[in-house]
Amino acid sequence: MTEAAIEDKRITLEEVTKKVPDGAHIAWGGFGYQRPPEAFAMELIRQKKRGIRVYTCGSEHDLDILVGAEVCLEFEVAFFAIEALGLAPNLRRRSQEGKVKFEDYSNLAMALRFLGGALNVPFMPIRHMIGTDMMEKTRLRKDKAKVIDCPFTGMSITLLPSIQADFGVICAQKADQAGNVQIFGIKGEDNEITRCAKKSIVFVEEIISNEEIRQHPDMTMIPGLYVDYVVELPFGSWPMQVFGIYDYDLAHLQYYVQECKTEEGWQKYLDEWILGVENHEGLLKKIGEKRLKELRADPKYGY
Amino acid sequence: MEMTEYSSTEMMAVCGAHAVKDGERVFAGTGLPVLGAMLAKVTHAPNAIIIYEGGYVDTQNKDLALSVADSRLGYRAAASIGLIETLGFLMMGGRVDVGFLGAAQIDEYGNINTSYIGEFEKPKVRLPGSGGGNDIASSAGRIILMFTHDARKFVKKLDYLTSPGHLSGPGSREKLGLIGKGPALVVTDKCQMDFNPDTKRIRLKSVHPGVTPEWVKENVMFDLIIPNDIPTTAEPTAQELETLRTLDPQGIYLGKGQK
Repeated sequence: MTEAAIEDKRITLEEVTKKVPDGAHIAWGGFGYQRPPEAFAMELIRQKKRGIRVYTCGSEHDLDILVGAEVCLEFEVAFFAIEALGLAPNLRRRSQEGKVKFEDYSNLAMALRFLGGALNVPFMPIRHMIGTDMMEKTRLRKDKAKVIDCPFTGMSITLLPSIQADFGVICAQKADQAGNVQIFGIKGEDNEITRCAKKSIVFVEEIISNEEIRQHPDMTMIPGLYVDYVVELPFGSWPMQVFGIYDYDLAHLQYYVQECKTEEGWQKYLDEWILGVENHEGLLKKIGEKRLKELRADPKYGY
Repeated sequence: MEMTEYSSTEMMAVCGAHAVKDGERVFAGTGLPVLGAMLAKVTHAPNAIIIYEGGYVDTQNKDLALSVADSRLGYRAAASIGLIETLGFLMMGGRVDVGFLGAAQIDEYGNINTSYIGEFEKPKVRLPGSGGGNDIASSAGRIILMFTHDARKFVKKLDYLTSPGHLSGPGSREKLGLIGKGPALVVTDKCQMDFNPDTKRIRLKSVHPGVTPEWVKENVMFDLIIPNDIPTTAEPTAQELETLRTLDPQGIYLGKGQK
């Protein structure tokens, strides 16, 4: 057997972000506090991208900074808040200013729309959303959802338009240079996101060898053939968490929620934590080794 | 017996726990429902299976979660999968008995708003949105709503209908093919409410100690049905309070030092 060279899809955060043009539609991975593409969001801000539209289930700190910096003001989304810590402060302010446009779906609806895109079918049926204002009240789409009589049973069923976004972006624990991705802990809707996008970008905490991937093929959630770019980026989900690697930085999140209640506070946060550092390495330096060490997960618990 | 002092938040969590039966499959969100479900599991419902929409199935976490995706829920869970598993195969598949939800507004039929305050075209406040709320309200066997009591939350007409309660009354859920039976119980820090089985309209079920039915009637913005002989909600036992406080030692959801 001739040995094939292992394709190298590695790229830096700066370079991969340059590949995302203004106006791009992005299927956005991570769920709740788990594995959101935080460093990518910060780099989109540093590169002053505009007109991005995000498709996602749950949005928290990562997307709130994009709203604050007005990188992304259009969302097809199910949830936007910082869960136990309360409403997302920039979103709240930008909504009152009338700047943010939402198309509201439920979490399952968004996940199924990604699945539909991944399967290359134009729509997916769902038994939810029917009977509510989510069906009729629209802002971004002419056809948000439609109810039809099922051609087999006659029952009313809601159809949702599938999503095939320009980019799918997720964070994971490990991948090899060819983009075979291992995700530990919950997967959220990340499996579907990488399969519905025209280009998939994966940020990983650690690049491992192709040999290690092949020793545990059952751990590969996303085979490399779906993945276009791999970025090795330790703490790429800070201030949120990555199961088994590090916990969320609760003190920072509380500070964020408090500080960004005012525009002045947000501008200060933006200058200090995003624009004030040159890149991700600069951010990690600012957070400091001591704090990063505190956030490291205890392998026994995963956080 | 000497009474143990307790806060109104603790009262809510205990009411939530009482609403869970042993062996049930329970869908919990973050906040007080987490505590209610966990308390039920360590007291009267050890065989309850707790599910979180991020993908955790049958959890036995030792620390309290701040997110439905929190790594804390992954410790000793039976499975960590994903959204299509939890909200799709389990929830829409009709395999969940009870779901907990919060609300910014509800109406007389238990329909829920978690999306906007004010007009949709120019909202005063953008709330979190559905998340999995609409999925849970549509397909969980029954719904328990939990939120702090404020007259402005009990409205004649919702600013936005995010998740279905009993919609416009008897038969309306069935007509749309919704498989869940809709809201069964509302727990606030002042009282509990349930729904008339024939009309599906909300009614007072019990008042917490120190609260009168008249107070509740004045503190909703619709004409609340008040049946005769409204009982007082049973107070939490000392054992329940002790257990509850060990589940939230830092007072993340219970609050600190309040009685």
